[in-house]
Amino acid sequence: MADLFSILSQASWSLGTQRDAAATASQNIANASTPGYARQEANIESLPGVQYGPAFIGQGATLASVTQIRDRFIESQIPGATGAQASSTAQSDALSSVSALDPSAASGLSSSLAAIYAGLRGLSAAPGDAALRGQAVSSAQALASSFKSTVSQLQSARSGLDSQVQGNLAEVNQLAQSLAAFNGQIRAARASGAQPNDLLDARLRVRDRLVELTGGTPLDDQGGDTQLTLAGGATLVSGNRAATLSTQPDPSNEGHAQLVLKGLDGSPAKALRSGAVGGAIGGALAARDGALATSEAGVDQLAFNFAAQVNAVHQSGYALDGTTGHALFDAGATAAGAASRLTVTAAVLANPSLFAAASSAATVPGDGANLLALIGTEDAAMASGSSAGAALSTLTAQFGSAAQSAKAMSAQDSALRSHLDTLRESASGVSIDEETVKLTQAQRAFEAVSKVVSTADGMLQSLFAIT
Amino acid sequence: MRVTDMMTYSNAMASSGRARDNVDAASEETSSGLRLVHPGDDPGAAGQVVAHSLSKSRLTAIVSGATAAGDELRTADGALQTVNNAIQRAQELAVQMSNDTLNAAGRSAGAAEIGNLLQEVVSVMNTKQGNRYLFGGNLDDKPPFDPSGAYSGDAGVRRIEVAPGVTQAVSIRADIAIKGVGGGVDVLATMQKLQTALQANDTSGVQGTIDALSKSNDQVSLARTGAGVSMNALDATVAAGTIARDGETKQISHLQDADVVDSTTKLALAQHALEASLSASAQSFKFSLMDFIK
Repeated sequence: MADLFSILSQASWSLGTQRDAAATASQNIANASTPGYARQEANIESLPGVQYGPAFIGQGATLASVTQIRDRFIESQIPGATGAQASSTAQSDALSSVSALDPSAASGLSSSLAAIYAGLRGLSAAPGDAALRGQAVSSAQALASSFKSTVSQLQSARSGLDSQVQGNLAEVNQLAQSLAAFNGQIRAARASGAQPNDLLDARLRVRDRLVELTGGTPLDDQGGDTQLTLAGGATLVSGNRAATLSTQPDPSNEGHAQLVLKGLDGSPAKALRSGAVGGAIGGALAARDGALATSEAGVDQLAFNFAAQVNAVHQSGYALDGTTGHALFDAGATAAGAASRLTVTAAVLANPSLFAAASSAATVPGDGANLLALIGTEDAAMASGSSAGAALSTLTAQFGSAAQSAKAMSAQDSALRSHLDTLRESASGVSIDEETVKLTQAQRAFEAVSKVVSTADGMLQSLFAIT
Repeated sequence: MRVTDMMTYSNAMASSGRARDNVDAASEETSSGLRLVHPGDDPGAAGQVVAHSLSKSRLTAIVSGATAAGDELRTADGALQTVNNAIQRAQELAVQMSNDTLNAAGRSAGAAEIGNLLQEVVSVMNTKQGNRYLFGGNLDDKPPFDPSGAYSGDAGVRRIEVAPGVTQAVSIRADIAIKGVGGGVDVLATMQKLQTALQANDTSGVQGTIDALSKSNDQVSLARTGAGVSMNALDATVAAGTIARDGETKQISHLQDADVVDSTTKLALAQHALEASLSASAQSFKFSLMDFIK
């Protein structure tokens, strides 16, 4: 037979349980807009009954646990999607911010290439005319400057990505340290028997940002630690230790930054191959060493081939003073770096009468036969097999399609990412309506249990009144 | 599906953000009139724009070169017409002076007129356009004829490009037209011979030049016919080049310019979508259990 005092003590226990339920709902409501927060659920259990004679009478309700509601299947897909999206977005942003190859840019390569041939055609009206010669030579120099500025825009975009990556690395190293620290704290909390839900959420946020930056693969091991492995197989975080990423200049890549990993085990720092890191960092590096590097090399090659082609014709012509063998352009000996070196030779620049328009020393100044041959180079194939205009056209289209496909990839990856985010949010997000219902439910239960207390109290009063 | 508050808000944010992005892109396109700015906007078109721009610039240069060459030929033709007139006057004089009724004084006056005509011919054959002497061949930096009628130019013919890879002669060879190189008559020498005969009161000598003068006239006329053919060809080049250049301009515009109707329609559509997205977001924020619990 249950006594009245046990009803009172059981009611006070149950009041506490309902308070816990209200507190859980309140925690959920408070974190309704915290990124990465997974809603928590207060699991209330009935206390086992006590035998009174032939019957068992329950002892009220208690809070068994507070658990997070998570959909592991969806959550396991999020890191991959996050890394891919960060990578393609970084790549797309890098490429679409470069305007060096815009087809209609004033003083761009295409308008300067058109201008040099217009200058040559203008000169063919009067090959001996000093003013027209000066104009033809300065249009050649303008083309050289345009090559220079195009390639320097591409180069500065590439070095800009170097600094972006270096900035990201500082954040990555800090995040890797805190992920390792969370692993340690969570392990310690679990050892003392607690379920550290909020630490788990914080660790998840750090992990997600790390994945976004590096594209690494997280793995929750059996000990409850989150490991993070980079795409190249190197471990960034394991247990409570984190590796360090830094950069060093890569001589084989024009001195651009190369990633270096100082491992967990204290082994010497090792250079990572390209593609070993994904995410935003990998995307920036892919743009730097992909479409931007290809375009830079293409512009260099175009400058080199164009200079060689024009020089071959120019050198066979005769200057106003009857001399021959003058080169018009100086692009250096190799294609690499040719665009930034390209210039009209100092002699011709200083003295436009050295421009070789004539086909023989006897026919100066009126002979424009070599000039016509120079004009003819506009359609003639260079060493690369296509004319300068066609090569520029191809270069522009190639860069354009790299930028376009990066943009399309980024849109697709973002859509996938936001779809997964929605699914995750659907499982783990906080619904304020739902929490309000739960809060009201706890409130009503609390009121009802209070009623039990006052009823039991009334019963005791009646007993006391008898005596 | 369980819909949470965060979903409602982030959906509202994402969809109104996307709609704003579209409005921005559409208004950019409408205000700039360009649909192709970055090569990534349309890679194929970007490559073609480069090719068409080069071609357009080439046609522009060809048209202006051909126009200038045509003007120059007209000047040269005008000079040769003066020569024609001078020869015809010399012919008249030769016929007139070979008449026995004239005396030595009359012939001497005729010789003086021929002298003036010779000077006129030499001076128009030294016609200059810009810094170039039109009748000097390649050696166009100094007067090709000296007062004695000696020619110091060469046999060079100036050619200009009239179509990609096609060149055309745009100068008259004075060594053939005036000096009779290649079996013709030396116009100036013939006139000088007439002048000498007139001064010497040599009627038969005067008569002897009539045939050569007639040949001279034909020779200069032939050169002018050649110039006329070249001028016609250049006019045709200018006409064809202008049409082709306008065609290239149209092509470039097709490739990179926005269609005004299309872009304003897109802008209106994007604005409607933004409005709809904002109003839907505002609606979805309205309902919460909070408002019903007292």
